Amino acid sequence: MDVKFINPFIESLINTLEMMVGITPGREQLYIKEDKMTHGDITGIIGFAERNITGSIALSFPNDAALMIYGLMTGENVAQINREVQDSIGELANIVAGGAKSELAKSGLAFHISIPSVIVGKNHAISHKVDTPVVVIPFLIGKAKHRFVMEISMKVLGH
Amino acid sequence: MRILVVDDSITMRRIISNNLAQAGYEDVVQAGNGVEALSQMNGVNLVLTDWNMPVMDGLTLVKEIRANATFGNVPIVMITTEGAKDEVMEALKNGVNDYIVKPFTKQILLEKVNGILNG
Repeated sequence: MDVKFINPFIESLINTLEMMVGITPGREQLYIKEDKMTHGDITGIIGFAERNITGSIALSFPNDAALMIYGLMTGENVAQINREVQDSIGELANIVAGGAKSELAKSGLAFHISIPSVIVGKNHAISHKVDTPVVVIPFLIGKAKHRFVMEISMKVLGH
Repeated sequence: MRILVVDDSITMRRIISNNLAQAGYEDVVQAGNGVEALSQMNGVNLVLTDWNMPVMDGLTLVKEIRANATFGNVPIVMITTEGAKDEVMEALKNGVNDYIVKPFTKQILLEKVNGILNG
């Protein structure tokens, strides 16, 4: 997977967290995922597709990070993952994919994005849209340095 | 001033409504899609709507509002992830007054709202 297709998603995620949540995440070294499991407690996943590109991204958070993000986004503090927190993680995935879509469209790579879905539970499996290596980019947020990941899987024809 | 916020994400509706309330716009009503929005148009001074929603999307909602004899002139701001130039042009062509691309800051939101309601 060419890094030029990954960078718009990374930039979109950082931009989204800065503008909607008011935090700038730290970034760790990316790696290739070995299995389908994620170590997050709540994951937002969204697919995208068009003639030349198919793929999906997943944002997977530990409970503490998801609750912090929800509180900063809405100004409302909640103690546990509920329907509203799930919605916020799905909406974050939606905005991140939308931002990358706009950026990639400038270079002629247009696609449509799906409605996001959210999975809750410890050590859940994530099925990405295409059977290609899954790139995992870890991020750190907040004073407690909560670690969450963005997973990207995509197939681009001709690349 | 009554503002109608239309988005299928309850989080986004809360973010927008809370930001509006903090700026003094306390008469805010919410809808989760275009059909719900049309049933709440009575007395609305401004519509803030998402584009991609189930049941009835934002662009269809814009067309329905503009075709309505009673509330066809209510200003509409589209707030959406659809930020490509062609999509912005399509929304404006169909009667949207202004456009905000997600992600956005509170400042951007209030600039657009103040500009329309106080401009």
